[in-house]
Amino acid sequence: MTALAEHAAPPARATTLRTLAGVEARRYARHPLFLIGVALLIWLTATESYGGYHPTSGGSTFVPAFFLGVLGVFVAHGLTRSMARSTDAVRAAPADGITRTAALCLACLVPGTVALAWVTWTYVASSLWPATESAAISTTERAVVFAAAVVYAVGGPLVGVMVGRWTRFPGAGLLAAVGLVGWPVLATVGLAMPASRLSSLVRLNAPFTIWESSDGQGEHPWIAGGSPGWYLAYITLLCGLAATAAMLHEASGRQRSRLVRLLVILAGLAIASLALAVATDPTRVPL
Amino acid sequence: MTATTTVKLAGIRKRYRGTTALDAVDLSLQPGITGLLGPNGAGKTTLLRIVATVLAPTEGHVRLLGRMPSTNEALAEVRRRLGYLPQEMGFPRGFTGFAFVDYMAVLKEWTSRAPRHDEVRRVLELVDLGDVAAKRIRALSGGQRRRIALAQALLGDPDLLLLDEPTTGVDPEQRVSLRQVLSRAGERSTVLLSTHQTEDVAALCDRVVVLDQGRVRFDGTVLGLVATAAGRVWLADAPHPAARASWRTGTGRHRNVGDAAPPAADLAEPTLEDAYLLLLGDRALATAVAS
Repeated sequence: MTALAEHAAPPARATTLRTLAGVEARRYARHPLFLIGVALLIWLTATESYGGYHPTSGGSTFVPAFFLGVLGVFVAHGLTRSMARSTDAVRAAPADGITRTAALCLACLVPGTVALAWVTWTYVASSLWPATESAAISTTERAVVFAAAVVYAVGGPLVGVMVGRWTRFPGAGLLAAVGLVGWPVLATVGLAMPASRLSSLVRLNAPFTIWESSDGQGEHPWIAGGSPGWYLAYITLLCGLAATAAMLHEASGRQRSRLVRLLVILAGLAIASLALAVATDPTRVPL
Repeated sequence: MTATTTVKLAGIRKRYRGTTALDAVDLSLQPGITGLLGPNGAGKTTLLRIVATVLAPTEGHVRLLGRMPSTNEALAEVRRRLGYLPQEMGFPRGFTGFAFVDYMAVLKEWTSRAPRHDEVRRVLELVDLGDVAAKRIRALSGGQRRRIALAQALLGDPDLLLLDEPTTGVDPEQRVSLRQVLSRAGERSTVLLSTHQTEDVAALCDRVVVLDQGRVRFDGTVLGLVATAAGRVWLADAPHPAARASWRTGTGRHRNVGDAAPPAADLAEPTLEDAYLLLLGDRALATAVAS
């Protein structure tokens, strides 16, 4: 049977999405900036260079958050914009804009997989070298704090896809990355405030947060208030919002209405999750 | 609409912020190669983009391959049978020729790897790029890049092939080779070829449509357009002031295109270019000078 004959019947949309996602994932995995990020992550993990945080404390999640999440903004933005110069030819193809964007969003699982490997290794390491143990944080809560590293690693690239779809100027990726770093930095104001629900809101609204103070800061180490579980739900929903917003750019007609509805639902759930994360006891507990 | 009509445009208008790019264009296309001629800004690219489903008209009806491309499902159906070479086509950085055409093949729903790769190799061979398929696109010449762009349009032997300036930057030898490819495509598909190269139209097309200022100025056979110049092209010893265009030929005589016969002139066999110059006058000349 010739290639043309085999191609005669159009495949299901899911098949096209799966194939395209595979292609985009390979492009992501070969991107030089991603490879640099992974190399630095491995090096910092091997040398336990976590900026004063104990390797098995939740604070060390800033390493994958930066090297996979923030650098991932540039990678995903670059991949999204890469076909801009072939726009007309791409738009004349049967795989529509939503499928193309969804494939890019699925490719963002590549840094997520690396982050998952990092989390797994950190847990193996914590069983070999005992972590700071305290009744102030349960094993489950610590696992949740670490699981957030996977969401950080996926979330940054999803923001890159969203910005790549909605903006055209070349510096948009850089601006998004600066915003993604600046937001949590500003939110650290919450740590300087007396422990309250307001301070938790200021701290936890950002897409990255520190739960434990670093070692050697001249004070007794503590763990911040709020619920790590609901915070994880909140940032996961932010990822969903970024992916939906990216796909919305390509949608029209009924698809657009559906995506707008989904966006509203996700936004509502994100606000509710944040409220629940903040509502949990905001008291700072000594470790 | 006849049984073989593949493209039917009725009353197509396209306006961009107060500028009318297309004005009440009616056009029907059947299998075979149709040339689309016109000066810069005539609306050729806009027309092709509308037929390629990447641009919606402001007014009018479009029917492609027996479907109105108004729903997502109908659009996908049409796009499955369509190949489009845009006028300007850039390439993503770092791609080889093979990788780019392969990426486009995935977008065209070639999901099985082995047949897709066979097809990519086939179209790259068709445009004589089989030997440089593994090279990065940025290392290729302008003509080779243009052929890479053409290769993606040829994927899957589309029923409707839309080509915007396919031979730009391509050397004469390759142009002849591409003509062979396009003439084979025209035997089974509807090919709409927008170009400034009247010789490509004369060599390839059964039919020619001339657009000017967003309107169809001529729609008929190539021979029919050439016939409009019969008795209006002269070879004389000097340029004639009343001629619409005049230039010195390689024989030393001046070719005068216009209604007025220069003194001591001989009638010359008209070409498609002569007919085009006579039809559009100064605007066609401006385009010729610009290109």
